[in-house]
This record gives sequence, C-alpha cells and structure tokens, in this order.
Amino acid sequence: MVGKVLGLAVADQASLLRLAILGLISIVAIGSRLYSVIRFESVIHEFDPWFNYRTTRYLVNNGFDKFWNWFDETAWYPLGRVVGGTLYPGIMVTSAAIYNALHLLNIPVDIRNVCVFLAPVFSALTAVATYYLGKEVKNATAGLLAAAFIGIAPGYISRSVAGSYDNEGIAIFLLVFTFFLWLRAVRLGSALYGALAATAYFYMVSAWGGYVFIINLIPLHVFALLAMGRYSNRLYVAYSTFYALGTLASMQIPFVGFQPTFTSEHMAAMGTFGLIQLVAFTHYLRALMPAGHFQTLLRAAVAMLFALGAGGLVLLTMRGVIAPWTGRFYSLWDTGYAKVHIPIIASVSEHQPTAWPNFFFDLNLLMLLLPAGIYFSFRELTDNHVFLILYSIFAAYFAGVMVRLILTLTPIVCVMAGIAMANVFETYLDFRGMTAQTTGAGDTTEDAKAPATSAAAAAAASVAASVPPGSPARPALGKRLYAYFPKAVVMVNFMYFLFMFQLHCSWITSSAYSSPSVVLASRAPDGSQHIIDDFREAYYWLRKNTPQDARVLSWWDYGYQLAGMADRTTLVDNNTWNNTHIATVGKVLASDEDTAYELARRHDVDYVLVVFGAMLGYSGDDINKFLWMIRIAQGVYPNDVSEQAFFTADGQYSIDDSASPTMKASLMHKLCYYRFNEVMGAQGFDRVRKQKLPSNVELHNFAEAYTTENWLVRIYKVKDLDSLGRSHRAADAFNGPRPAAPRRVPF
Amino acid sequence: MRLAASLGACLALGAAWLRVVCAGSAMGDRLLVLVPTAEAAGGYSELLGSLAERGFDVSVRAASNSSVALHVDGRRQYDHAVLLAPAAKRLGAALTAHSFVRFVDDGGNLVVVGSSDMSDQSRKLAAQFGVVFEKHGSRVVDHSHHLVTDGTGDHAVVAASRLAAVPAVLSPQLLEAPGTVYFRGIGHRYDPSNPLLTPALTGAPTTYSDLSGDEVLSGRQLGLVSVFQTRRNARVAFSGSADLFSDAFMRTTQSRNRQLVHDITQWTFQEKAVLREVARRHYLAATGMQPEHYRVSNDMVYEIDLSVYYDDAWRPYEADDVQFEAIMLDPYIRTTLNRTRSSGPAATYRGDIRLPDRYGTFTFRVNYKRTGLANVDVKDTVAIWPLRHDEYPRFLSAAYPYYTGSFVMMVGFLALCAAWLWSAEPSKPVTQAKPATQVKPATQAKPATQAKPATQAKHTAKSKPKSS
Repeated sequence: MVGKVLGLAVADQASLLRLAILGLISIVAIGSRLYSVIRFESVIHEFDPWFNYRTTRYLVNNGFDKFWNWFDETAWYPLGRVVGGTLYPGIMVTSAAIYNALHLLNIPVDIRNVCVFLAPVFSALTAVATYYLGKEVKNATAGLLAAAFIGIAPGYISRSVAGSYDNEGIAIFLLVFTFFLWLRAVRLGSALYGALAATAYFYMVSAWGGYVFIINLIPLHVFALLAMGRYSNRLYVAYSTFYALGTLASMQIPFVGFQPTFTSEHMAAMGTFGLIQLVAFTHYLRALMPAGHFQTLLRAAVAMLFALGAGGLVLLTMRGVIAPWTGRFYSLWDTGYAKVHIPIIASVSEHQPTAWPNFFFDLNLLMLLLPAGIYFSFRELTDNHVFLILYSIFAAYFAGVMVRLILTLTPIVCVMAGIAMANVFETYLDFRGMTAQTTGAGDTTEDAKAPATSAAAAAAASVAASVPPGSPARPALGKRLYAYFPKAVVMVNFMYFLFMFQLHCSWITSSAYSSPSVVLASRAPDGSQHIIDDFREAYYWLRKNTPQDARVLSWWDYGYQLAGMADRTTLVDNNTWNNTHIATVGKVLASDEDTAYELARRHDVDYVLVVFGAMLGYSGDDINKFLWMIRIAQGVYPNDVSEQAFFTADGQYSIDDSASPTMKASLMHKLCYYRFNEVMGAQGFDRVRKQKLPSNVELHNFAEAYTTENWLVRIYKVKDLDSLGRSHRAADAFNGPRPAAPRRVPF
Repeated sequence: MRLAASLGACLALGAAWLRVVCAGSAMGDRLLVLVPTAEAAGGYSELLGSLAERGFDVSVRAASNSSVALHVDGRRQYDHAVLLAPAAKRLGAALTAHSFVRFVDDGGNLVVVGSSDMSDQSRKLAAQFGVVFEKHGSRVVDHSHHLVTDGTGDHAVVAASRLAAVPAVLSPQLLEAPGTVYFRGIGHRYDPSNPLLTPALTGAPTTYSDLSGDEVLSGRQLGLVSVFQTRRNARVAFSGSADLFSDAFMRTTQSRNRQLVHDITQWTFQEKAVLREVARRHYLAATGMQPEHYRVSNDMVYEIDLSVYYDDAWRPYEADDVQFEAIMLDPYIRTTLNRTRSSGPAATYRGDIRLPDRYGTFTFRVNYKRTGLANVDVKDTVAIWPLRHDEYPRFLSAAYPYYTGSFVMMVGFLALCAAWLWSAEPSKPVTQAKPATQVKPATQAKPATQAKPATQAKHTAKSKPKSS
C-alpha cells in the first residue's frame, strides 16, 4: 500500500513527518505571538514584566551572587524590598543564561530582545512538551493535535506574546513538561523519570508561584489512585522519588524556603507521601499475614491513623504551627471572600471570577472538545487518564474562580481536545477497512500504536491547513462512495471547525492580546493609526528632570513601570506584599489636601503621579480605580477613610460639582481635575465618566510639574514647607492669582 | 621668584579674607536702609554710624525712591535691609510687600519698623511672618512705667524692661544692664506657638495697647520687638517703634536702647548666633570607610562638625544637646552625640552607633534647632541591607540534634544500601534472615545472610523492586 519515499521506511517517514509538523507548529506558535512587535516595537509590556526585565538587567550586569543578595532600596520606600529573596528567579536566570550563551557565541543581542522574545520561544517548547504529553496519554496523533492547539490557543497566548515577559511565559512549558515526566514516571515506575519530574518541578518552583498547582495535583492523583485501589509499586517509586527530591529542591528557592514543611498549601503533598508509605507497608504486611488478621489490623490502624492525623492537623493549624490558609487561597473557594476581606486581591482585574464568555473567547472549540476528551479518558481509564480527568476538573473549577487561571486550564484542554480529535480522526480517516465490508465507525479503543495509523493521523493533523487526502482503495466505485461519504461529511465538518478555530485564534491574538498597554494606539476617523505614548513620555520626563533619588508616589499599579522606565524610587509597586503601605498611599490620595501633604512629607515624597483618562476616554485611569484605593485604605484606616463619604447623597459616584464634599476635597480628585477645565472649556466634559467637569479645583500644597500630551499622566511636585511658616493656602493668597502662563493646547 | 609670586597671591587672598571677616556679617555686607526722607536719616546717626563701623556697606535711600530695587534681573542686590519708614504711604515702585517677602525668601535679612501710623504695606508684610500689628492709630501705653522728663511723663513712651532671655539674640550685657528700653509706637500680636517667631521685648502687665477693642492686648501678649528666623535661616526683626532706633531715645539717660538695637541688628544681620554644619561623615567602625550600604546591626560612627559665627569669626560650637536620629518612618535610634574635639573653627560631635536590626532605607538626621541659633537640619539617606545569604550564623548549637539526625539518616541509608547490594543473592530459600540484615551493620550483614538458610524466596523477590 505504501512504498518507500526518499528511501525511507514507513516508520521513518512517519517520524520525519512528525518532526516536520512539530517544527511547523513551533514556527506558528512563535509567529502568531509577534503581532505586538510588528505593530508597535520590541518593548516590554504591561506592569509585572517591567519588574522582571529590570531584575534581569540587574542580573546580567551584576552577576548572580549580587542578584541573589540584592536589596532594592528604591522600592517600597522606605521599607525596601529584599528582591533576591522575594522573587521567583527562574525567568531571569533563563534569560540571563540565554543572553550569556549568545554572547559567548559572539551574537551581540540586547538583553531587552532576549526578554521580549523569551515567551514566544518558550511557547514553541510548550508545544513540544504538549506533544509528548499527548503521546504519553494516547498517541502521536493526539500529541500533534494537542501541540497544534496549544500553539495557538488564545488562553495561553494571552500570557506569552512577545514582550509579555512574565513568569507564566516559561512556567506553562514547565507545568506541561513536569506533568509529562510525572505520567511517564508513573507508567514506567521509573525512579529516573521521577527524578526528572522533580527536576522539572524545581525549575517550575523557581519560575512561578503556580507550582502549588503541581504540588497539589500530583498528590491528588496519587491519592485518587490509592482510593481506587490502584496502588502499585510503580506509583510508589514514582511518587516517593518525585516528592522527596522535588520538595528538597524546591526548598532551595529562598522565596519558598521552609514553606513546604509548614504551610497548608503543601500539606496535601506531605500527607499523601505519608499515606503512600503506609499503604506500601500495608501491602508488605499483607504478604506476611493471614487474611483475617490482616483485615482486623487494617481497620484498627486506618481508624486510628485517621483520627490521629486529622486531630494533629487541626491542632497544629490552631496552634499556628501549620500556617493557616492564606486569603488568596480562601478566595479560590469563595469568590466573594476577597471582596469582603482582602480588597487588595479583589482589586486586581485578573483575580475576578471568570465570566462565561471568557471561556469561549480564550478556548473556543477546545472548550467543547474537553468533555469529549474526558469521556474518552473514562473509556480507557489507565493511571494516566485518571490524572487527565482530575487535572481537567480541577483546572476548570479554578479557571471559573479566577480569570488568570484559565492559563492553567489551557494545556489540559488542549490535550483533551487532542485526544478527542485524534479519536475522530482515527475513526473517520481509517480507510483500511475499505476493502472489507465494514464501513461503520471503527473501534475507538483499538490499539493505536500501529505505525500506519500514526502516519495517517499525522497526515490528518497536517490537513488543518490543506485538503484532506484520500487513500487509494480498491473496491468498486459505488461501494467506495457509499463508504466514503459519511466519513467525508464528518471530516469536512471538523476541518471547517478547525479552520474557524484557527481564524478565531489569530483574530483574538491580533486584536485583544497584542497591545503592550505601555503604548496605546487609537484610530483617527480616516483610519490612520495614532500612537499614544503618554506613559513613556511621563516616565522619561521623570528620568530626565528629577533628582536621581526623587521619590514618586503613585498607585501601586505603576510602581514597576516607574522603577523600570523612570528609574526613580517608588513607595508601592505591583509586588503587593505590604498592605499597610499600600493603604497609606491610598489614604494619601483619598485624604484632603492638608492631611495628604502631611503624610506625603512624612514619607519623603517628592512627586505624585496620577493617571487621568478624561481627555482621551481612557477608562483604566486612577479615578476609576479610586474606589479600590478608598476601600483598601479604609481596611487599614477605618477612622480616617470611609467609602460612603465619597458617594453623593443618592449614592452616585460623581466627580462634577454635585460630588460629595469628601470627594471634591480628596487629593486624587484635585490632582486629576486641577486646571482641566482650562483646556476643556466651560462646557468641558469628562469622556470617561460622561459627566461635566468640576468648576473650581484649588490646589495649594502640590505644584503641577508635568502633564503629558494627552493629559494621561499628570505629575505634581510636593511643595517644600513655606519658608515663612505660612500654610501654602495663605502663601498662595498673598502671592495672588497664578499668572496665566500660555499653555500648549493638545490635539 | 615663583615662591614670591605665590606668597604674594597668598597674602592677597589672606587680605581678601580679612576684609570679609571685617565685614562682621557671616553673609555679606550690602545693607540698605530705607528712611522716610533723606533728611530723616539724621535722626538715626547713632544706628547708621554703628552699622558703618561694623563694616557694612550702608546705602541710605529714601523709601519713595523708585530706583531702589531689592532684586535686579532676579539677583538679590542687598544682603540686609532696614525698613525705617513705617509711615511712608508710597514706597518705591519696586518696594512692595511681595518684593520684601521675596527678598527674605531669597535669604535676605530684614528689619521692619512700625509706628502708630504705619502703612498698610508694612502691616501686610509683617502679617506674612505672623506679626499682626494693632489697628491704625493705636499706641502702646503704660501708666506705671513710662518716660519721665522734667517731672512730666509721657505715658505713650513706655519704659519696657520685659526682655526675653534668649542669649543667642540678646547679649548678657543687655540683659544684666540697668535701665529700661524706651518704646513709643504700636504693639503687635504674635502666635506664641510659632516656632519661627521669638518675642524679644514684650509688655509689662501694666502695658497695654489702646484702641484694642474688646480684647485688650496687654502684658506678655503684647509684642513690642520680635525676631523671626525663616526655615532657610534668613532673619527678620520687627519693632513697633521707629523711635526705639532713634538717636533721641538712645541718648536718654537710663536707656538700654543702644544695646538692644545693637543686639537686634547684630543678630538680624547674621553677625552672631549663625550655626552651620561644616562637614559630616558616617562610616563603619570596623573599616573606617563609608560603605555603599550598611548591613543590619552594623557598628558605625557618625560625626558632624559644627561651627558658630560670632565676633567676626567662625568658632567651634560647643553644646551637649546635639542629637542624632536614624529614621525609617519612626526614629529607630535617637542618641546624643559627644563632642570629641574642637579643631580649628569647628567642633566635632561623634556618636558610636549600632544600627538597628532592621533593613530598609534610613535617614540619618541631625535636626538641631535652638531659639535664636541658625537651624541645622541635615539628612543623609542610607540603605541598610539585610545580611548576605552566607553571612547568617552557621551551625547553631540549638540545631545539633537535627544535624545529628540528618547524618545518622545518611549513614543509615548508606549502610542499608550496602547491606542490600553486597548481600548474596539467596540461591536457596531463606528463613527469617531479613530482620537480622536490616538491623546489623553492613560489615556483618554479609556473613549473617550467608550463614542462615533462607526460606521465603518469594517474599524477597517481591519486595526487591520496591526499593530499587
């Protein structure tokens, strides 16, 4: 049926084909993540990546030893931040290693470009790892399909476009790879693969806080297998190796430290480790004892151990030996928890519960194939499939709780969809039966390791971009048509779905996930693009016009960018470790001018930066975030800040003349609207709030230092104390009205 | 030849330095005196003579002179100014309250003199410093203490003697001398809680300001002469009486006016009580070098050199209350520095300090503010880093049980492995050999297994893959 091509046997052709397909998938995966570089420029995106970029630069310039012991006194002024001990160094070390390797080869690449392109490159590796995972749980067809899916799934692209230099960029690869190694370790009962899985896990721990997902899911897998009575020595070897090595290795990361021994998040893994020892011991005992005695012993032992274990856990937790669950963890179970107890977590948009269209938006077709994949997994239900099912269910749940966790759901959805699609292909592209009389659906559980099937499936996977090929068949034409037709109909349908999926992914990637957010783009009525670069303008102004040690107060969202782009000291940043400090900044912005001035001086603040979108209609500005600042401040200073006081009598959040007195007196309101009506005119309008402008905004203790072209960023200087001991209000009154300096008018 | 030239240069420099020193003020010698009219200057010859004698370059100008400006092209033209024309309705075009405030803001020193009919311009100026002169036309009156000449008394010429004991401003000669200060003019209100303002001369309980309205201003609340030092150490003096400075009052018998005017002008024009920080250092006690950043609990040394200006020269400042603070939001350390030596014009204060066991950005601050003295407020922002990863103590004695435990574990594991690896593969079934091999050390394991015949081959085979 199939002859030699290029002098290669069928099996070799298949592997060559697979290699080629994987290569193409990698290229597509990288290519589709480059929109942002092509549209804008090779720039680091958003907020957190700026921190990673800054630390990477520090690492490259100062070496690992200094990086490890780096204390950043310019962040969290005046508390400082022990950077070396409070970050996951994986991504920085990876970039630095790549950078140094390239320089060793005399390829002078800028570290920025290494950082920008790291995530796309790692997405290609993710595709490869997913291929192996799919191959591990089903076959190469499923692997290739899963690889193709993860290469372009928007749920993953959202965190790995070029410039999105964040932990997740490499962590998803490590997540998938660790799971692959784990499954192989379980299947083979191999200590080697267990150790490899532990190594991959160590890399994962060094790269992302999401490693907790692994260290809970794998024990859960083990526990489920034990509960199903599937204990085997293979499982024992795999888990004991993985847990012992993985935990020891993870404790080498300073940020993790001794957490695996006392925090609740790691207790499940430790408990399972103990349990599997007991089970192993029980199995050993069973071999030595008569069955009757054994049953009695077992019951007594199980009851006693359970009581001891549970009692001990409760006692230790109550005594505080085991750290209680953290708020971030509670919010995983109760989506309303954070909003009530920890506004700082609830205020982050990516911590919001997921709206259902998001699933379709990010996963599209794959979401529909997930249940099919679970179904097929249940049909086979090996140890590996138990893992897949558990992963699917848990990841789906967590993805529903928090938007950002769609990211951890994406790999398993891709694998499951790969399995489902592989089954479809195997059934409907199986033309071997054409010569026989059976034309119905083949047995899907049929052993799929045959090379011919792999080749056909591999060919099918490549079909996504081309026409489905027909296999040569012998029987009579009518009979052949009768046999082909239903298959062709199904295949054409699925091809259409896949094609649409590809279109959807490209469109989402290009329209939703490729904006750097540091640079904004708008379209003029004639369709021409207008770049709005106010953020960098403001940061650059700070960099060039303020003293090196100037301290800039802003809401924490802009902390990393200020540190990265403006190179100035910040009070709070996106590493939200100190709620009190953030609340203090919130209080400064929510207080009246005099209180704010006093607080600002106490914290040695030189400049205050606010983001103000009313001129552009940029809705993510500080006035819209203001309620969160108030809530966070109220959480710590309930006597000084009250959310209610910022609403009008009829409960409106307004900023115009009808706003509540507290609102109008607040520093944030003043800094935003100060002199804004001079440029917008008497009939001025806030384009975000759709309200009229406040008519009279007075500001005395702060002096306007810089306002960007589109008024997106406004920077104020905190005035010195008056030399004569007057209040600034009195001094301004004495000095008379400010001379009306000519202002440049935007547009 | 070259030696002679350089010697000459040195001499010239020395001469220049001497000349500066002779100027008397620590700041400069350009002094502007604004008098109502050129003729009126004759009434202040004592004052003007004294100023000229003290080395000031005195320019006496009529207040209405439009060509007089305190700033030209943004540069301050005078170092000191005396506004001796309280009643002048029209000052020169460039002489507004704003220009005087700017002058002071810019470091100029100023004496403002009032009178019962003082102008709004002067009131407005004084109000900016928290000195609120009484209503137009009001006078300070004292029916018990007043000037008596030839048996008749003028109750509006108050014989004031309530001088504030501020040695930095008022000299001991003045405070201890007999006699009174004659004062004819207007009183002012002041805020006693204002740290920048110090009343130098206040009313006696019998002294009051007429036309005060409902709340009669009298006694201590009634300010007659006050001095003000801005946050940038510029100095301003206010007197409600121009006559206080006049020749007539100075020459009156039992008058302390001369000394008071001398003290007030000396202080205001920075001829005394000018404190400054010459240098400051902080360094590690161990190395004597200033590090890039400190580590927690470092022993360090802070030193500051202070000198004070009086009698035409900078001299070491001697006090026992110079304090040092290490602040991160709150002061973590506040300690008094010890005076170690007085070398040349400066006294060195030193503190041997152990830094707090807390990392962060600290501010080392010496905030020395004493009434009448110039403020010294110096800050250094210093980072205190946590220990390096290899600087923490190793091998804690409390942890010896754990170390022992881990090593015993390792040895035991190796022993077990050795026992397993080198024990002979049982060719025949073994009977209860297992416990013996596991408990005994590796060296004895081999003979033990060999010696005893085995029975449970099945069990051995089964458990083997488990631990492989």
